[in-house]
Amino acid sequence: MTGTAPMIQVAGVTKHFRRKTDLAERLAMRVGLAEEPPTVHALDDVSLQIAEGEVVGLVGESGCGKSTLGRVVAGMLPVTSGQVARDGKDIAKLKGAEARAMRLATQIIFQDPMSSLNPRKKVIDIIGEAPRLHGLVKRGEVRAEVERLMGLVGLDPAMANRYPHQFSGGQRQRIGIARALAVNPDFLICDESIAALDVSIQAQVINLLVRLREELSLTLLFISHDLSVVRYISDRVVIMYLGRVVETAPTDRIFDAARHPYTQALLEEIPRIDRRGHRFSSVKGEIPSPVNPPQGCHFHPRCPFAMDRCRIERPVLTQASPGHSVACHLDGGTGRPLSEAGVTTGDIPAID
Amino acid sequence: MSDHLLEVRGLRTWFETPKGTVKAVDGVDLTLERGEILGLVGESGSGKSITGFSLLGLVDPPGRVVEGDIRFLGEDLRSASPRRLRDLRGNRIAMIFQDPMMTLNPVLRIGTQMIETVRAHAKVSKAEARAMARDALGQVGIPHPDERIDAYPHEFSGGMRQRVAIAIALLHKPDLIIADEPTTALDVTIQSQILSEVQTLTREMGMGLIWISHDLGVVGQLANKVAVMYAGRIVERGTVDEVLDAPRHPYTRGLIDSLPMENDRGQPLRQIPGNAPPPLGRPEGCPFRPRCARATEACLTEPAETEVQGRGWRCFHPLDERAMV
Repeated sequence: MTGTAPMIQVAGVTKHFRRKTDLAERLAMRVGLAEEPPTVHALDDVSLQIAEGEVVGLVGESGCGKSTLGRVVAGMLPVTSGQVARDGKDIAKLKGAEARAMRLATQIIFQDPMSSLNPRKKVIDIIGEAPRLHGLVKRGEVRAEVERLMGLVGLDPAMANRYPHQFSGGQRQRIGIARALAVNPDFLICDESIAALDVSIQAQVINLLVRLREELSLTLLFISHDLSVVRYISDRVVIMYLGRVVETAPTDRIFDAARHPYTQALLEEIPRIDRRGHRFSSVKGEIPSPVNPPQGCHFHPRCPFAMDRCRIERPVLTQASPGHSVACHLDGGTGRPLSEAGVTTGDIPAID
Repeated sequence: MSDHLLEVRGLRTWFETPKGTVKAVDGVDLTLERGEILGLVGESGSGKSITGFSLLGLVDPPGRVVEGDIRFLGEDLRSASPRRLRDLRGNRIAMIFQDPMMTLNPVLRIGTQMIETVRAHAKVSKAEARAMARDALGQVGIPHPDERIDAYPHEFSGGMRQRVAIAIALLHKPDLIIADEPTTALDVTIQSQILSEVQTLTREMGMGLIWISHDLGVVGQLANKVAVMYAGRIVERGTVDEVLDAPRHPYTRGLIDSLPMENDRGQPLRQIPGNAPPPLGRPEGCPFRPRCARATEACLTEPAETEVQGRGWRCFHPLDERAMV
């Protein structure tokens, strides 16, 4: 990390989704016969920085906005308000060649390789299409380039003429990774990229990502619901709940000294083979709908420590110690200290 | 007679396809007692779900249970009439699926569906059935069951729908529940709530539960016994502590080792090389042989199960019992 602008700077980004209305509906609304379609508050004033070379794990449950944030950072979705900057430049204002370069330098790998790979195309075309179209390789060199990429991700280059269905789930995910790497990105967003894979295959793909990150000096935003995977791969962890960042800290801090009650609950509920006969359930209640999020702190209806203030006032993300920020009213706005939390986060053993 | 709640011997469920016979389940033995939770663990294609379906006679053609003995409280289920099976299913034996919408009819209120289920197996009035349904909803932790009983499935969240499916499974206080990855699609905090309910209910009602899952962590926390499946066979079984603390089969060891929580950050994850064999291209002998570091020529013959005091494994070169992490 240098003193210059971080690679990715997300500043106060809010993203709302609203169903498009047709003319008849708009007329009906105008005369008061229909209500406005509901707004989904996917992101609510989210700020985040990613330094060059960093692996940031973005964790949260369904509907917390983690995938939306990934797409916003990649420039695939416009923001409702706020700003996303890449290398200090607002990506919404980039034009022409600069915008294209930014898009190529950021690539996303999705969860389900079967639905993100065109089933009618051969692997050579899936991986080779983008570099050819963008003029990164000459037409005659596409095959050699695809074979190089396949080797890089651990696929047999002899299989370049096969179709996606002829590969196993793990291999298809490798194809997805090769396709992302084909345009020489320096920043990869992995959106639940290994969630659909079997345990033994998951380990193979994680190892591949870690190796590629080192070999190609990649920066990674690793989006996942699985804290145990995130702990393994990330330098820093960002925890989201219902459209907001509730805690961010270096990985060890999150696992050893989480301050937000939600983070502590998540840690408590990771299924672990070394906890037998565990008494489940430390968080009560459902995840509220992002259409109608609760007032104040979004977590207050499920929080065992909620106070009156939490029901009214939104806690701001406050620095609790260097690099560790929490959005919680407890303990002077820095979350509850572990000793008082009554949550046994401490039984996560030190990494041996 | 001291019958087991469930006893399965040599179960084989095969699928005849134009390309050959897929031996989805190929010689599975299981025993379960009341109040026990058995975690049936395996990766995709290991045959764990088909094992569950086979027990209830729910395998559709071209699949067929070709061999084996399934006894529920001593009664032979394989030779039971369809009528008898129907009587047992949903009454004495219930199943919970990964997707609750497989159980729920989207166009009927859940109360209607539950009353129907109650009255299919018990001669009670509608009002009594409704009261039973409401109690079951309360039991699985659905708030305001009196109001929610009149809601449609789409008015529930995913976690609540799964609770409804569990409530339906519990309606007749079954002796045995077979649950096929029921919490896999749910968020961690919601999964945890449901596991907590299930744990309490099994204990209180003295049911037997087979929990089919790919997640060793969930099984480790929930179950008493574990059976690990690979390529249609149970390759290792025992109590949770035995199997997870001191696995004998290299595949079980490999699964545990590849969990990110079991690895040091900064070191490569220990991984099992290669892929599970395709169902039509399983290797001769031990199916795990091509991925196994301990394989020798002996493994070209299929290993039979070694059983020591209720603990079993299928391997010629089992890991040392004392070899703990």
